[in-house]
Amino acid sequence: MDRVATSLSKTQPHSMKNNLATAVTLIFLLTACSTNSGANQIAVERAQATAEAAIIDRNDAIAERDDAVARAEIVAKSADRLAAIQDRGEVTCATGNDTPGFHYLDAAGESLGFDVDLCRAVAAAVLGDADAIDYRFTDLAERGPALQSGEIDLMNLTTTWTSNRDVNWGNFAPVMFYDGQGFMTRKDSGVTSALDLGGAAICVTSGTTTELNLADYFRQNNLDFTPTVFEQTDVAVDAYQAGQCDAFTTDRSGLASLLTEFPNPEEHLILPEIVSEEPLTPVIPHGDEAWFDVVKIVMAGLIYAEAYGIDSTNVDEMAAGDNVKAKRLLGSEGDFGQEALGLRKTFMQDVIKQVGNYGAIYERNLGAQGIGLPRNGRNDLWINGGQIYAAPLR
Amino acid sequence: MQSILYPGGIPLWRNVVFIQWVVQIISAIVVIAIVSGFIFNVATEIQDREIPFGFNFLDDAAQIPIGESVIQYDPSQSYLYGFSVAALNTIKASVLGVIIATSLGIVIGVSRLSRNWLLSRLALVYIETFRNIPLLIQLLFWFLIILELPNVREGYILFDAFYLNNSGFYMPWTTPLSGFWPWAILSLIGLGGGILAFNFLAKREIVTGKPSYPIIVGFAIFIVVTIIGLFIFTPLELVVPERQEGPFGRLQGGARWSGSFFALLIGLVVYTSAFIAEIVRAGIQAVNRGQTEAARALGLHTNASLRWVIFPQALRVIIPPLISQYLNLTKNSSLAAAIGYPDLVSVSTTMTQIAPAISLIGMVMATYLAMSLFYSLVGNIYNRVTRYAGVG
Repeated sequence: MDRVATSLSKTQPHSMKNNLATAVTLIFLLTACSTNSGANQIAVERAQATAEAAIIDRNDAIAERDDAVARAEIVAKSADRLAAIQDRGEVTCATGNDTPGFHYLDAAGESLGFDVDLCRAVAAAVLGDADAIDYRFTDLAERGPALQSGEIDLMNLTTTWTSNRDVNWGNFAPVMFYDGQGFMTRKDSGVTSALDLGGAAICVTSGTTTELNLADYFRQNNLDFTPTVFEQTDVAVDAYQAGQCDAFTTDRSGLASLLTEFPNPEEHLILPEIVSEEPLTPVIPHGDEAWFDVVKIVMAGLIYAEAYGIDSTNVDEMAAGDNVKAKRLLGSEGDFGQEALGLRKTFMQDVIKQVGNYGAIYERNLGAQGIGLPRNGRNDLWINGGQIYAAPLR
Repeated sequence: MQSILYPGGIPLWRNVVFIQWVVQIISAIVVIAIVSGFIFNVATEIQDREIPFGFNFLDDAAQIPIGESVIQYDPSQSYLYGFSVAALNTIKASVLGVIIATSLGIVIGVSRLSRNWLLSRLALVYIETFRNIPLLIQLLFWFLIILELPNVREGYILFDAFYLNNSGFYMPWTTPLSGFWPWAILSLIGLGGGILAFNFLAKREIVTGKPSYPIIVGFAIFIVVTIIGLFIFTPLELVVPERQEGPFGRLQGGARWSGSFFALLIGLVVYTSAFIAEIVRAGIQAVNRGQTEAARALGLHTNASLRWVIFPQALRVIIPPLISQYLNLTKNSSLAAAIGYPDLVSVSTTMTQIAPAISLIGMVMATYLAMSLFYSLVGNIYNRVTRYAGVG
């Protein structure tokens, strides 16, 4: 049930197909049934209805029992998820393997990327070993069911935090990346802002609300444009590269990772404007408050480690130094709730040594050493005017 | 009791009429049970999952962009209007596709039967190639070929008015001015006068035997009235495409036939004409060989016998499968979304991002059904007109 409810929400390309299937069935039925009357049939139907009611009652009883059992199982599974993970020796992390920068496989088959590193940080925090992860490569359309079943401990899969998903899917941790629809254009056009795109032909992939955001933005700013809507990204990119379109629009992270596959990435430019809100966060199944707190505290640790200047090379130095806040974060002095949660006092030392701070994770995967998405604007730390921020560690 | 179980002395379970009735009733009950089960299921699921449904949204602003349209469109216009724009785009592709595919299909079908070895082999290769490659792949193929054209700033230009590049073909076109409707009415009057003159002269020719040129005179009346109307009312303004200022150098004004549309049209025409060619061949071969020989015996040469004897008879075989090819072409045009042409399916898919999907899909299905029924109607009327007198 939840699966369809969520399939109506944002950033899910398969939702249309589900709806389509339902719609097609419905219309078939509506057209097929036009002669449903007559006294005999009423009698027959009444008899059938009685029989069906009995069956439905029984099925309901079974379903209720099954629900209760399933709920109990999920609660049992998640009630002390941290203990279960430590017992198991592995964090079950749902991620992907097909998006450069966020989650992909290297030549040796190792998982790499921004999303993967966030999983690794959690594994290092709770188990002391960033590699103690059971990766579950999950289809985007299967994200909701995977969370609802409680099978996984943590999901990092370019998932936009929306209110609908927060209700139906699970708990959403602090925002680790602000994505949003942006524009790419050729450098030789001399355009440096989306506001200069008046009169342009724009290629767009049919998606969640991409076309709508595009139209809204241009109407808002009183600009003309000619859209060409494609079903598939590769055809749209072909059209853009051939010059049929002057600009291409999709999520900025998507633009950056597409750019890495271009033969001539230096000839193109991602414009600074973001025209939609797509905050990406780690997600945790509903049902275990303590485990949710663990993930939030690890994310906060990554962010504050960068703010305090702690990186993988100076952990021991900082732990023994005189920055009080850094010492508290690294567990050499004071406490910020980690022991009450059942974590080791110095867990952040393992995290920073093995995975690095937020800035390092960003630069390695999304920044200059990764897909080249500049970290200006929202994705900078709050102290630099950005929006990357978390509960203070104290 | 005896008489009920043995009406007319035959046991009820061996009575054919009774058995047929029982089977009919049981089948009806099964069908109704299954169908009402489905309806009940769908209806409750729609309610339980709060899937939006209804048609109130049709008056709201559509908000979504549509890249090209036969009539003016703006995202602030209603869903219903946007839907009509998309439907017109589909009709445009379908009608042009049907006309061109039929012409091409007939030529290739006849070539296939030609005595010229090279011609008939070429037709064979054409048919077997294009009807055996999936249409979607053909569409992508044509689209990628069109992308190979130079871009809009470097494309071909003729007389500073016709532009060809990978964004499409741009040409001068007219926009209606205030004088359009008076002019249109005058033209209609001219058309009526032309038809009257045609009828009069045609009758005179038959009655008196004097050559009266009914077609030429009737047509001339229509054309002269229309041209005079052009000078009196100035109904139309010619708009020539012009390059816009700014970094992109796009063309504005006039008519644009987009690259996506060309790829779609070429793909549909090539694919469907291969099927039509085979239908034409089958139709011609279905005409008894004796008919050809009889035509020869009457002294008709090859073209004349084809035109006056073979083709009229072949048409009776050709029309029904030809209509179903027209329906196929229309429905196949829904693959347009893959190459960026804003057809009915592409646009309504975009609309479902905020509007109720079930309602929209229902409307799309109804529109395709209406278009198909229209082609069927035209085909059936034609079929009735051309059938053998006195048959069925």
